[in-house]
Amino acid sequence: MTAILGFLTFDYNTRVVLLGTLSLGAAAGVIGTVALLRRRALLGDALAHATLPGVWIAFLLFGKNFSFLMLGAMATGLLGVATVSALSKYTRIKEDASIGIVLSVFFGAGLMLSGWVHHNSTNASQSGIDSYLLGKTAGMLASDARFICVVGLIVVAAVLLLYKELKLLCFDPEFAAVQGWRVGLLDFALMILLTATTVIGLPAVGVVLMVALLILPGAAARFWSDRLSVLLVLAGVFGLVIAGTGTMVSAAAARLPAGPVIVLCGTVLFAASMLFAPRRGVLARWSRTRSHRRRRVRQRIVQRLFEAFEKDASIALASLSELSQRIRVDRRSFNRAVNRLIRDHWIVVGSGGVGFTDHGWDRALRTVRTIRLWEQYLLTHANIDRDLVDPDVDVIESLLSTAVIHELELGLIESGRLPRDHRNTAIQAPPTASREVPL
Amino acid sequence: MLFSSPTADSSNAPLPDGAPLPPIEVHDLTVAYGRKPVLWDIDLEFNEGELVGVVGPNGAGKSTLIKAMLDLVPSASGWVRIYGEPYAARRKQVGYVPQRESVDWDFPVNARDVVLMGMYGRLGWFRRPSRKDHHTADECLEKVEMSAYGDRQISQLSGGQQQRVFLARALAQDARIYVMDEPFAGVDAATEASIVRVLRDLRAEGKTVVAVHHDLQTVEEYFDSLVLLNLRVVANGPTSEVFTRDNLLATYGGRLTILDRAAEAVRRGGGPRIDRP
Ligand SMILES: Nc1ncnc2c1ncn2[C@@H]1O[C@H](COP(=O)(O)OP(=O)(O)O)[C@@H](O)[C@H]1O
Ligand SMILES: [Mg+2]
Repeated sequence: MTAILGFLTFDYNTRVVLLGTLSLGAAAGVIGTVALLRRRALLGDALAHATLPGVWIAFLLFGKNFSFLMLGAMATGLLGVATVSALSKYTRIKEDASIGIVLSVFFGAGLMLSGWVHHNSTNASQSGIDSYLLGKTAGMLASDARFICVVGLIVVAAVLLLYKELKLLCFDPEFAAVQGWRVGLLDFALMILLTATTVIGLPAVGVVLMVALLILPGAAARFWSDRLSVLLVLAGVFGLVIAGTGTMVSAAAARLPAGPVIVLCGTVLFAASMLFAPRRGVLARWSRTRSHRRRRVRQRIVQRLFEAFEKDASIALASLSELSQRIRVDRRSFNRAVNRLIRDHWIVVGSGGVGFTDHGWDRALRTVRTIRLWEQYLLTHANIDRDLVDPDVDVIESLLSTAVIHELELGLIESGRLPRDHRNTAIQAPPTASREVPL
Repeated sequence: MLFSSPTADSSNAPLPDGAPLPPIEVHDLTVAYGRKPVLWDIDLEFNEGELVGVVGPNGAGKSTLIKAMLDLVPSASGWVRIYGEPYAARRKQVGYVPQRESVDWDFPVNARDVVLMGMYGRLGWFRRPSRKDHHTADECLEKVEMSAYGDRQISQLSGGQQQRVFLARALAQDARIYVMDEPFAGVDAATEASIVRVLRDLRAEGKTVVAVHHDLQTVEEYFDSLVLLNLRVVANGPTSEVFTRDNLLATYGGRLTILDRAAEAVRRGGGPRIDRP
């Protein structure tokens, strides 16, 4: 902690380095999210690995000049991407296999070049380049960091500028083509931005794990939002936090390479999002399923109880043990549901058995009506739109049109299954006389 | 060209008013995926202001025909003209409703965002939809009775509602010709009624609609003209003339179960639905 604080209060150079990695993180989060939505995540990994030979070739040709190293990386990275699309387009090799081939062949070539340079050169200046494999921020020059910062800002600005175009490209490229958008050009622009981000990530994060910085922020952010704009901002912030924390920790603990530390931070953030995010998170989903299940048990109890009164209109109370036998759930779930229904004043349980309260009658009528309408819907409108069926909905009118509901109710009347109020059975007219329908 | 509007090129080519150019004309069109021909020597001409149904068994090439008309698949020979010009020159006259399964409905946008995409072509590069465009999008949602769902994330919509969002997006394109691939596939009754209403409104405005349709039971009710397709055009013309037992046998030939039901549907002028498996 003190090391991190010390890092923050360090000199100008160190702060510039931090600024570089922060903008790298933000750019990677933003463009990585777009790549994720365009289903280019795996391609991003191949791309990152394919930059390695370019770095060494540039080193052999021009020596240790940062801009040339970056340009070399960019060149073989793009060559790798082009090879993937050529292989998938002109041969029978599928895209995932093409990606595997390019990734391993290019990366292997990079490692070979590295070995060759080490063997044949007494020059120690390649030592900095070795860290391009796993990333290292300690040795970064302020000028390098400034370069990274500028490229990162350009990437973010480009995504802002092309926001609408990229949104359309990712959601429905065919519709984009119909409108006359140049889908190929947009994809190419996306690839250039992705490559540029990958390349500036090499010194800090390294070839091997760069894809994590691209994917983890967007994947984590997806748990928090359903809106693309929010998603991009969030992914940018996540990327910034991940990259910032990772580089600071790595700089403080001198022997830790930055790449793995960054991945570790990203994983923590991703796991936390996956578990704890409201609505989309695993825990939220789990608790939703649980309350759904419990609600279903209560619904069945209400339905069965209603049916007991429907069958024998003369009784005022039904037997609780009989009810529990007809509902096939474990005792604990049954008791929990009954207690909840009592607490909500739906039912009363006495020594003589169980019955609805006045409020309970109202709710039971509604519940049973909804259930039977859905049953009727599945019977008569089978095969059409099953997505619509939701027995938990309180007001069925919000999902089906009045005309359809009316038709369903007629069907229920015909089969005598439209739920009727049995509250005052003693003074009610005989069933044949009361065909009135509460619509 | 890089910074020109995607549809600026020549798609504003003026429509010669009064001249009786057919909205869509297909001549000698052959399309092949690899070496396998999927459409073969297709000749078609549609009339302005009609609802045209494209009918045929699975794999008949219906979707491919639609895509060929929109320049989405290359043709091996022949051509398509929209009001006498190639598609690229008439983009703005054409609205498109793709098959619902063609996109990922878990995408992080809401219904209104999708409808707004219909206006992207007219907006061109970099320009964002304005307040007025948002208003137009809401109107289009209203036309398909989805105004209550504008803010809904699209994965939260039912299949029929998703289909209506796609239709609203095409309406936002504000075109003269609408091309739709199976707009009625797997939708609920409310959606079906809503789509039919929109199609009839479009016809009343003098627009032309070409829609792939799979339900022989409703073909006669919905469409003025038909294209019966199976690799080649089996028949093309007014529904009353074309929708006959012999033509359907020729189109669906060999598929016995469908054949029987098709024949029955024709005989009774309505019968069991013929759904896609
Ligand atoms: N992209 C494609 N590549 C190869 N074959 C395809 C492709 N798309 C469709 N096909 C084939 O072309 C034929 C016609 O397909 P399609 O136009 O989708 O038929 P329909 O829409 O009438 O069911 C089918 O046999 C299908 O397998
Ligand atoms: Mg099809």
